[in-house]
Amino acid sequence: MKVNPMKPKVQLGHGGGASPQVDEDTILVQRTLRSGQSVHYAGNVVVLGDVNPGAEIIASGNIIIMGALRGVAHAGVEGNEEAVVTAFRLQPTQLRIANHITRAPDGNYPGPDQPETARIKNGEVIIEAYQPAGERSTGIC
Amino acid sequence: MGEVIVITSGKGGVGKTTTTANIGTGLASLGYKVVLVDTDIGLRNLDVVMGLENRIVYDIVDVTTGNCRLKQALIKDKRFEGLYLLPAAQTKDKSAVTPEDMKNLTGELKAEFDFVIIDCPAGIEQGFKNAIAGAEKAIVIATPEVSAVRDADRIIGLLEAAELREPKLIVNRIRPLMVKKGDMMGIEDMIDILAIDLLGVVPDDESIVVSTNRGEPAVLDNNSRAGEAYRNIAKRITGQQVPLMNLEVPDGLLHKFKKLLGFK
Amino acid sequence: MSLLDFLNRFFGKDNTTSKNVAKERLRLVLVHDRANVSPQLLESLKEDLIKVISNYMEIDENALEVNLDSSDDSVALVANIPVVRMKRINGEVEEKIG
Repeated sequence: MKVNPMKPKVQLGHGGGASPQVDEDTILVQRTLRSGQSVHYAGNVVVLGDVNPGAEIIASGNIIIMGALRGVAHAGVEGNEEAVVTAFRLQPTQLRIANHITRAPDGNYPGPDQPETARIKNGEVIIEAYQPAGERSTGIC
Repeated sequence: MGEVIVITSGKGGVGKTTTTANIGTGLASLGYKVVLVDTDIGLRNLDVVMGLENRIVYDIVDVTTGNCRLKQALIKDKRFEGLYLLPAAQTKDKSAVTPEDMKNLTGELKAEFDFVIIDCPAGIEQGFKNAIAGAEKAIVIATPEVSAVRDADRIIGLLEAAELREPKLIVNRIRPLMVKKGDMMGIEDMIDILAIDLLGVVPDDESIVVSTNRGEPAVLDNNSRAGEAYRNIAKRITGQQVPLMNLEVPDGLLHKFKKLLGFK
Repeated sequence: MSLLDFLNRFFGKDNTTSKNVAKERLRLVLVHDRANVSPQLLESLKEDLIKVISNYMEIDENALEVNLDSSDDSVALVANIPVVRMKRINGEVEEKIG
């Protein structure tokens, strides 16, 4: 199994409108997920804490982590390519959206110092600085 | 047809995973086709020691439960063409794998690879039974400590009961200076007690910590003493005769003084 | 500590170096491990020994020690049983009469 390294960060706004999933179920995980723990959920997952290496979150919808993502996150597991993964510190061991799998590039890179979002754009997983939905729709970066 | 070797110790923290990574990488660097199998389900570590943790999609439980094919779960090493890792599961139940599964799995792997190296979990429970189920040879790791030697003795007994005859010993983390001072058991002391053949001696070496930090086995580091020991061990596994590396501490002033007085 | 002890220790020749202590402790532990003798078994053996020996002599039950030991290839049962007093032979005679 070959897992391609992530593309370099793209710090640009997202042009197309992500389809909102306001009606989908969402669960709130109010703790840090540690190695060996996993959350599987048919819907969105919001974590108030970190996701440590060795932990995983698998969701059919979006994944939002109010902390550091260092483990594995798989959003849109049933094939939803619109799903996104957002984290205060996006440093995943591996990140998957729908059928796309990416990992951090080899070598040492400084970690992010701002919240970021990973999404699929033109068939590739890209990472961009997090922007609230309102700002994105007006095109302000 | 390849050879299935289990690396075990009984006691935790004596260097099974480090040894597995280094022997496997050492054999691959000699041009052999090697697969490393992590059987420590729930506490997998071989992936991080090898620096392959971010490539894992499927694991050993996915294979044994038929969730994916064996080939899909094998992770190719970044450095060597012929080196692969079959990772343990981290989030699944450890009873998911049975000794019967392991026999089938190792049978399939040894048809493809020259060496199938199995990293055994600590303890003598289910994980140990799984790890040795498909093995044909065993390597026992012990550090020169009372607890590690005692557990190694127990493991040797269990291996023999499981028809894994003539396990080989690797003495890990030896500190020649302490041995010389009489404050650490030496190689002879350990062989004397355990009464099995010696495969190699690995000196205590800070470079192991550094190489584990980086996810690059020390066996690739030409300046590492432990790496040199692992290179020798890999060669011995392939049948080469390699003398034990010189662990002698250079004579200090005190030693010369003792010699002068005829105490040594 | 005599001067000789001190010199021996200083020059790493005596049996009290921590290595030798470790080896000796291991040797004893392994004799027990390998023989697979449980502490309960040793305890009940001790009780039986006391019962039998008490018929013939008075012993210090609290100081009684029963251990396994090994020399070369064989394992031995070593019992240290302090005797307080011998019982009189006529005990045996009385028993026969009774």
